[in-house]
Amino acid sequence: PCRAQPKKKKKVDVKKEQAQKERMKKKLKKLEKAPPELIPIEDFITPLKYSESNRVRSLPALSPEESERRVLLLKKWCLFKQKQDEAEKQAIKALVESQQEALKELRLESEELFEAAIRRDEGLFPFERDGPSYTPPLPGYDPPEGKCVDITKVYTQ
Amino acid sequence: DALLGCHRSYRSRPTHGIGKFKYLLPKEAPKKRKEKVQMKEIDAGTEYQYGDVNIQMTSYDLCLVEHFAQYVHRLCNRLSIRVNESYAMPTKTNEVLFMEDRGSKMQLDAVLTTHQRVVQIRGLSSTFAPILLEIIQSSQPEGVHLLMKQHTEADFKSRLKSRPELEELLAEMS
Repeated sequence: PCRAQPKKKKKVDVKKEQAQKERMKKKLKKLEKAPPELIPIEDFITPLKYSESNRVRSLPALSPEESERRVLLLKKWCLFKQKQDEAEKQAIKALVESQQEALKELRLESEELFEAAIRRDEGLFPFERDGPSYTPPLPGYDPPEGKCVDITKVYTQ
Repeated sequence: DALLGCHRSYRSRPTHGIGKFKYLLPKEAPKKRKEKVQMKEIDAGTEYQYGDVNIQMTSYDLCLVEHFAQYVHRLCNRLSIRVNESYAMPTKTNEVLFMEDRGSKMQLDAVLTTHQRVVQIRGLSSTFAPILLEIIQSSQPEGVHLLMKQHTEADFKSRLKSRPELEELLAEMS
């Protein structure tokens, strides 16, 4: 049914809605202005209980034989590590050299195969590998029932 | 007159810049502006070179994974592979509960923290990649899980804090 005087509520609603939208846009602009922050890493923050200076260790005095033994052990360890590092460098060198030789031979064989070999391997990434374990899993082990709960602290900006 | 009394050294005269002294003072460090965490451009790589590659090492043992990350970083330096960034991902804490033999209660067994370190490299040539992989695998310590993959925007975004208010507003607007 048409009225003589139309309702005024519609205009007020439209104005209110517009005002609300503007407020939301302003809020959005403010939030977007702030740059995103990195999540702080708990590893690098020392917990306060370790910075209290109550805990101070007093080490016993070392006998000269003991310190001598330790210095010689350190030297042996250094030598061992150096040999290990040298072996690794040699291994890398050998691998690279053999690879280059193989590629040279391949080039002499056929250019097409050489080009295909030089291209990057799409199937290489992603590459996943679990580290070796001290004790591999037992075959007939029946673990007790349980569950894992993720309690990582969620940071919000 | 005041106008004629001023001693202005003109630019062509030898007395130009006679009163300057700031060049003699030690240089002040410029004001530190907060560095905005912006995503660096991700390199896609050519046909003979991989672009940005992430080497992610995860483990429960913090010292082990840190030392391994340092070893990988130094290895890349020695082999003159460009290392873009070497950062740590936020640690995840897991509570392991197990059911008691007799009873319905879940008992707390341990609280484990998972640590992850990432070394980002660029410009790895396609012939050298399998060699690098072999070397890293041969020196992988126990309990450290290795993952190598291409760097994506999602990887970068997972390092940033979530902004629920912004997302809510965006959802309301659209």
